Amino acid sequence: MQILKYNWFFYFVLMLNYLKAQTNSTIQFYFTYNSKPLTISDSTLPLLDSNGLQISNLKFYCSNIQFLKNKKVIVEEKNSFHLVDASNSSSQKINVAITSKLLFDELKFNLGIDSIANVSGALGGDLDQTKGMYWTWQSGYINFKIEGKSKQCNSRNNEFQFHLGGYTQPNYCLETLIFSLADKSLIDINVDVKKIIDQLKLQEQTKIMSPSKDAVLLSKKISTCFEILK
Amino acid sequence: MQKKIIIIFCISIFLLAFHYTENVTFFVPKNWPQPVYDFTKNPLTKNKIELGRALFYDPLLSRNNTISCASCHSQYSAFTHSDHALSHGIDDSIGNRNSLALMNLAWQKLFMWDGAVNHLDVQALAPIHNKLEMDENIANVVTKLQNLKLYKFLFYKAYNDSNITGERTLKALSQFMLTLVSSNSKYDSVMRKQTQFTKQEGNGYTLFKKNCASCHTEPLFTNNQFMNNGLPLDSALNDYGRYTVTKNANDSLKFKVPTLRNIEFSHPYMHDGRFKKLSHVLNHYTKGVVKNKTLGIELQNEVNLSSNEKVDIIAFLLTLSDKKFLFNPEFSYPKNSFQTAKD
Ligand code: HEC
Ligand code: HEC
Repeated sequence: MQILKYNWFFYFVLMLNYLKAQTNSTIQFYFTYNSKPLTISDSTLPLLDSNGLQISNLKFYCSNIQFLKNKKVIVEEKNSFHLVDASNSSSQKINVAITSKLLFDELKFNLGIDSIANVSGALGGDLDQTKGMYWTWQSGYINFKIEGKSKQCNSRNNEFQFHLGGYTQPNYCLETLIFSLADKSLIDINVDVKKIIDQLKLQEQTKIMSPSKDAVLLSKKISTCFEILK
Repeated sequence: MQKKIIIIFCISIFLLAFHYTENVTFFVPKNWPQPVYDFTKNPLTKNKIELGRALFYDPLLSRNNTISCASCHSQYSAFTHSDHALSHGIDDSIGNRNSLALMNLAWQKLFMWDGAVNHLDVQALAPIHNKLEMDENIANVVTKLQNLKLYKFLFYKAYNDSNITGERTLKALSQFMLTLVSSNSKYDSVMRKQTQFTKQEGNGYTLFKKNCASCHTEPLFTNNQFMNNGLPLDSALNDYGRYTVTKNANDSLKFKVPTLRNIEFSHPYMHDGRFKKLSHVLNHYTKGVVKNKTLGIELQNEVNLSSNEKVDIIAFLLTLSDKKFLFNPEFSYPKNSFQTAKD
């Protein structure tokens, strides 16, 4: 009798696992400059425009992924943080395990790290403080980082560095991205890097390195540079 | 089938029990508030504390392997840098602030003189990355640790696998620092009714409660706030304290209210180490307070203390020295851990 009960339980777990294995959504990020794929590697960086624009580093956090149907959250990836790095193709693909067959019409995620994770001390995985996305002299995660060179920059070696983050008001820098889309298992999102560079206004500023009003404004603008590929 | 389940059950209980004995319970002294550190996210164990202690004393955490945390936080001076007004770091660089004494950190929410650090776990990142202190990089520290047999061993003991990550390194450092609890001074014995103040100390205590305790609040001797205690701005350093973090004008010239426990040993005093002696500190409170917008209300009216009363307050402050803490062998250089590496 006892054993029979256990067996039922095992079947139940197996069935759950089976369902889980069946549906899996993948979010795939692409980085493009003027519709061409952007490559960042250790070898010589390509020149992207007539000002000798080069991008050496481009990373951001994608967190709290939610799938919605009629504005109601049906699947949510809680407490998960993904560091998406333009120089690392495996980081650009995020699999979200889904335990039931669902039909969603909206995708939502945060660009950056929420304030709770920001005050939770040492964290692991993509949030490990060795990932270079954490300020050290003052606590807090960097949500979005872009670095490179352009002749437009009136700075040492024509370099630019934008480290956007901030988890306290009035400089809370977290952006939420919402996309309407048809239910499908592979979701392609393009990061329009040309549009991002245009927002930076490199002739006027070449650096943001700490939480500030400017960082909040720029994050808002950058959040418009993500688009669903149909 | 049933037999198997029973065996697995027994083994699990055994393993659980084994783990259990490894755990270290954090002791909260009687009548102290609950700590703010969330121990559920980083439960203390003997082996993690041991690992953290080795890391704290290891100069490997600096660029050229010369400076350890203990270089600026030495036990005999209550884990600060004694006799250095501004801390000394790598290549004899001189920093911008006086090192802070380390004790009772589990009760603190914000760290540094200006509160720039929001959690004990991430505190170590600041000195490790500071060009004038250790001038290293945490990713590099982790790589260095991964290449050493000693740390493969110590991480294995602490985490049951030898995977070395930034998270584990930082949490282990916290574990050691959390154990630095000072609660066995004469003052504490008096509070526990095990002994009594001398007449002079008792008089000092009364004066202290009247003039100082609103900021240096018992039993931790800090209210964990940022306050302006009327120090004139040092124009060479131009340090506006909390304001540099919040950019809020109301925070200008406010600094962390430091604990006064073990104050006898943590000289020189204040964020820039401007006072060498406790008598200089008391003279500041009676004669040196500069009035401005952010000055703590307690100090807006002049503090009147006769020279005898100052001596009494100092006598009281000396009852905050905790020899057990200053000479606790569990906090000192971990000779044994480093020895096992060589064997
Ligand atoms: C070069 C000297 C130096 C070194 C090396 C150093 N510190 Fe410090 N430490 C300081 C100074 C100075 C402060 C205060 C800094 C400030 O407020 O800006 C401080 C503050 C702290 C605090 C905050 C205490 C409080 O009450 O807010 C902690 C904790 C700490 N250090 C731990 C460490 C650890 C862990 C290491 C090793 C990874 C380390 N320190 C290495 C000089 C140093
Ligand atoms: C308005 C709040 C306030 C009051 C009242 C106050 N203090 Fe302080 N005290 C502070 C602050 C803030 C600091 C750190 C200031 C800095 O370094 O810029 C400090 C620093 C000190 C220090 C140096 C500690 C160290 O580790 O460097 C001593 C000693 C001290 N106070 C003793 C006293 C005594 C004795 C009294 C009473 C006569 C007193 N304080 C009253 C806020 C206060």
